[in-house]
Amino acid sequence: MTRFIAKRLGLGLITLWLLSVLVFFGSQVLPGDVARRVLGPFATQSAVNSLNHQLGTDKSVFVQYANWISGIFHGNLGTSVATRSSVSSIVFPALWHSAKLAILAFIIVVPFGIIGGVFAALKEGRFQDRLISVGGLSATTVPEFVWAVALILLFALLIPILPSTATPPPGSGFLTSVKFLILPALCLVFVLFGYIARMARAGTIEALDADYTRTAVIKGLPYSTVVRRHVLRNALLPTIAVVATQAGYLIGGLVAIELVFNYQGIGQVLYRAASQKDFPVLQSGVLIVGVVYLVATLLADLAYSLLNPRLRFESSA
Amino acid sequence: MMDERHAQVDAIRRRIGEVENDLVDAHAAGQIDRREFVRRGTVLGLSLSTLGVLAGCAQPNVAQVSPPQTKPPQPGGTIRAGIVAPAAALDPVMISDEGGLAVLGQTGQYLVWSDKYLNLRPVIAESWAHDHNGGVWTFKIRQGVHFSDGTPLTAEDVAATFNRLADPVVGSNALSNFAGVLSKGNTKATDPYTVQFTLDAPNGNFPYLVSSDNYNAVILPKDYHGGWDKTFIGTGPWKMQSFTPEQGVTYTRNAQYWGPKTVADRMQLTFYPEEQAQTLGIQGNQVDILAHYSVSGGRALITDPTIRTTQYRSSSHRQIHMRTDKEPFNDKRVRQAVGLLLDRRGMVEGLLATKSDYGNDSPFAPVFRSTDPSVPQRQQNVAQAKQLLEAAGRSSGVRAQLTTLTHFELPDLAQVVQNDVSDGGISLSISILDPGTYYGSSKFGTSPWLDSTMGITDYGHRGVPNLLLTAPLTSKGPWNAAHFKNPAYDKLVAQYVAALDLGAQRTAARKIQLLLLDETPVMFPYYYYFLTAARLNVSGEETTAMGHIDLSRAGFVA
Amino acid sequence: MSSFGEPIGSSVTAGEPPVADDQLSVPGPEDTRVMRRERMAVLLHSKTFIAGAVILAFWIVCAIFGKLIAPDDPLLTDPIKALQAPSSAHLFGTDTLGRDVLSRVLVGARDILIVAPLATLLGTVLGTVLGLVMGYFRGPTDDVLGRIVDAVLAVPVVIVGLLSLVALGPSTITVIFVIGVVFTPVIARTVRAAVLTEREYEYVAAARLRNERTPYILFGEILPNVLGPVLVEFTVRLGYAIFTIATLSFLGFGIQPPAPDWGLQIYQHYGLISGGYWWPVLFPALAIASLVIGVNLLSDGISQAFER
Repeated sequence: MTRFIAKRLGLGLITLWLLSVLVFFGSQVLPGDVARRVLGPFATQSAVNSLNHQLGTDKSVFVQYANWISGIFHGNLGTSVATRSSVSSIVFPALWHSAKLAILAFIIVVPFGIIGGVFAALKEGRFQDRLISVGGLSATTVPEFVWAVALILLFALLIPILPSTATPPPGSGFLTSVKFLILPALCLVFVLFGYIARMARAGTIEALDADYTRTAVIKGLPYSTVVRRHVLRNALLPTIAVVATQAGYLIGGLVAIELVFNYQGIGQVLYRAASQKDFPVLQSGVLIVGVVYLVATLLADLAYSLLNPRLRFESSA
Repeated sequence: MMDERHAQVDAIRRRIGEVENDLVDAHAAGQIDRREFVRRGTVLGLSLSTLGVLAGCAQPNVAQVSPPQTKPPQPGGTIRAGIVAPAAALDPVMISDEGGLAVLGQTGQYLVWSDKYLNLRPVIAESWAHDHNGGVWTFKIRQGVHFSDGTPLTAEDVAATFNRLADPVVGSNALSNFAGVLSKGNTKATDPYTVQFTLDAPNGNFPYLVSSDNYNAVILPKDYHGGWDKTFIGTGPWKMQSFTPEQGVTYTRNAQYWGPKTVADRMQLTFYPEEQAQTLGIQGNQVDILAHYSVSGGRALITDPTIRTTQYRSSSHRQIHMRTDKEPFNDKRVRQAVGLLLDRRGMVEGLLATKSDYGNDSPFAPVFRSTDPSVPQRQQNVAQAKQLLEAAGRSSGVRAQLTTLTHFELPDLAQVVQNDVSDGGISLSISILDPGTYYGSSKFGTSPWLDSTMGITDYGHRGVPNLLLTAPLTSKGPWNAAHFKNPAYDKLVAQYVAALDLGAQRTAARKIQLLLLDETPVMFPYYYYFLTAARLNVSGEETTAMGHIDLSRAGFVA
Repeated sequence: MSSFGEPIGSSVTAGEPPVADDQLSVPGPEDTRVMRRERMAVLLHSKTFIAGAVILAFWIVCAIFGKLIAPDDPLLTDPIKALQAPSSAHLFGTDTLGRDVLSRVLVGARDILIVAPLATLLGTVLGTVLGLVMGYFRGPTDDVLGRIVDAVLAVPVVIVGLLSLVALGPSTITVIFVIGVVFTPVIARTVRAAVLTEREYEYVAAARLRNERTPYILFGEILPNVLGPVLVEFTVRLGYAIFTIATLSFLGFGIQPPAPDWGLQIYQHYGLISGGYWWPVLFPALAIASLVIGVNLLSDGISQAFER
């Protein structure tokens, strides 16, 4: 087990290093002059040059890369060229915002998804199953901004019960903040439901077919107890997998939703940084999204192997 | 009664200068209307009470200038306004966008406020005066004004502010406004509360350059060296409480403020990255006021019964330039044909939902008093356009690329232009760039804006047309995207700028308008109105066509 | 569900909307002709496949003949007639520039149905080559390429797409290229997994004994046997490609005006729905939804056929 974790960590670090190289040198391709972007088109060339010097953007890319990496090792993610505030003060609150949205979405979608999936599995092949499977799949594949627009139309304008933006006024309490997050979270629920339901359905069908279920039924346990005890646990496993594989999408991939709801998540931070050529925010932000993704997949793999005896056996072999 | 007034007027006329007396004569002779008389008077430094006497009654009818539309606000509460997110770091010297200046204007204050009707109102300056030809201007600075850190404001701070803005090494955003008008070092504090500006050349409109129109010119402490976004230092009615980059600012009342205290207790600015989100924000009651919205992004607000829209004319516009030195637009008949093919009615009534004035292909917007309205408006005339194209040997068709940027309705306008000109056999391909790419370095050779064969550029509001006449159109103009070089035009512009009285300005304006209609280096299809949205329970906000929003008098109605 | 040592759900990219990909059984080197016929039979009896095929066929017809079917010129602006509600003159109403929404929706199928398949094809070709190489050689080649693939997969597709489009400038060609490249790693992973099984079969060893050249073994021997998963992967990715391109267009970095692209139409008009102008948003939204659903039904049917 320890060897496995060590190996995964090692590989993760290599991946991160590669990502840092890709991001850094990739962003050098972005056209335009950093200081020109900051100062605007009408600034004088001398002002542009002096700001470039001040920012270190007139040095060679290798020196800039080395400065960036050594900064990160010292806990310094750099300074935004657009807002002149530290990258950590922009990226971490945004990361937290994204996490809040993702958590709320999961809290809503996981029970529905699992119940839907188990229900579909119990009705395998019948109309209800097809409805959940095909309906879920359809909801999943519709771009989230389409859902966003539909939900705003419905719940913010036609029946105005929910706010159309996701950012609560400063100083709002917990419940108010949650209320502001419901519509964007619902968009994610639509996107995630089909996936979780499908995984739960597959897990349930597998468990229903498994020997221990048959044994339990033969032993005379009521069917509902069998489902609750054995099947539900199996349906939970794939859900963990969803959390893991979707972490990257939920943390960083929701640009369109965040834009529509004016929510300051990490996706919008990266989007703005890209359009403003705010290299420090962009580079460190993407790297952090990468870290989140890798850590989430590692944790999920661990949880998965701990919960699934079969896999645990394989791993120690 | 009459005699008493005559005596008063005589006394004033002896006291005021030659230019002011010309103004009084022009008004008396009916050459200018009352409103223009008041406006010019405020520019020249005459107080409203003086103007009232001269105009023939005790006070000019201010209500007419700013008609009350709503009930007065009640004190207290938190007023919430939405603005477009500032595009760059918040440094008063460098800010070059509407979101930035809206933030700047909350804590920062100008010597003079230029209101939406272009009247000037003293703020940090108490009064101003000029020498015989407008070459030296002297401003009296208000006493008892403090910066938010407690230090008192003196003439030294004012002088330092303008010397900083006029310093080419600093490279401020206001530099283009001061070019040829005010040089570094020529602003001096002659005593603790008097500032003297010695201009490079006489300028009758100079007070606009120290007003909110020149939005970088908020008065900063003399030792200011960056870092404004940490303190929001200024002398205004609000004090920054918290600032979250990309999200917004909260303010509390500035207890030390020299003027009347704010109506609301607190104020919030919310930044919106997108106009559509801003529209949903006010409709969803997330904010009470939108400082500015456009028809393209906020059409839903125009018809919304829960929203009150305030509109007023501005000189904000779009310029469609055609390269006069390159195929196919080096033939002026082709350019004229393009001008005749545009369906301006479609643009004004459709694209802008009638929230704009018609443009007549010159910078003389209807809002400017010097504009000669008798110059005939160019109308769509496809037949005439075809004749011109045929005469130019272009009846077989013209091809060109139209370049523009992603900014409000510009991509839409490009598509409408593309459609309109296709009626004359002109085929345009559209290239839409992001703003940074479009402007590039704003130098010839490295800027799609200045190098494109045909392009559409956004121009913000200006209180006077001077900069719009020079920078984009004179032979040496730094923004001359049309590469228009016409000595006769240059001469007329010089005449216009030097003219101190309105009559001379109008004479030059008419000639310029006619010349530009004939040459058509640039098309000005419309001048759009400045639109502000407020929820019905709010009143007292004041905006300018530059994009300022003053919420110190705003609050909720009972 | 996944071989250990690989992250779970490894064939799902970060930042991609989740769609369950069913575990694919790789066909062995049996007689493929019989299998193909059986599969066709299964497909033709699959309701999801038929439904997907019908929806997709409708949009393909629109893409090819859209300009003939459309009642109006989708690019013809008439601002005076802006935002007219649906009526007999304009069944889907008009947009802000007075263009006929129905015509724009019908013709709008063209761009996305050219861009998305081309981008997916590019990604599939590159990914297949990469996957073949990684799976066949294993060892250091696989390790190095595998890490790079991991690195790219750790960043949401939309962000990678945005970065690339900002760098290269938005244009149809760039969109095809960027989506293709972004999809390469994930397709490479699937193909690699298939190749890992395949390379253990005798026919590969035999080819090696015959001293066949490596490219021949890869493309002449192994490739035909992994075409199944490649095809399934192609259809799954096609759905993603439509989704991603629509999102990029919605963010202003995809297909550019005046093209009647659906994502672009929604982007341009979504602020208007609150003013009661729902038609320029609703109809393109339904179009995107129906197209992605169609493609996914199709791919669902195909993967079910291959599962048997």
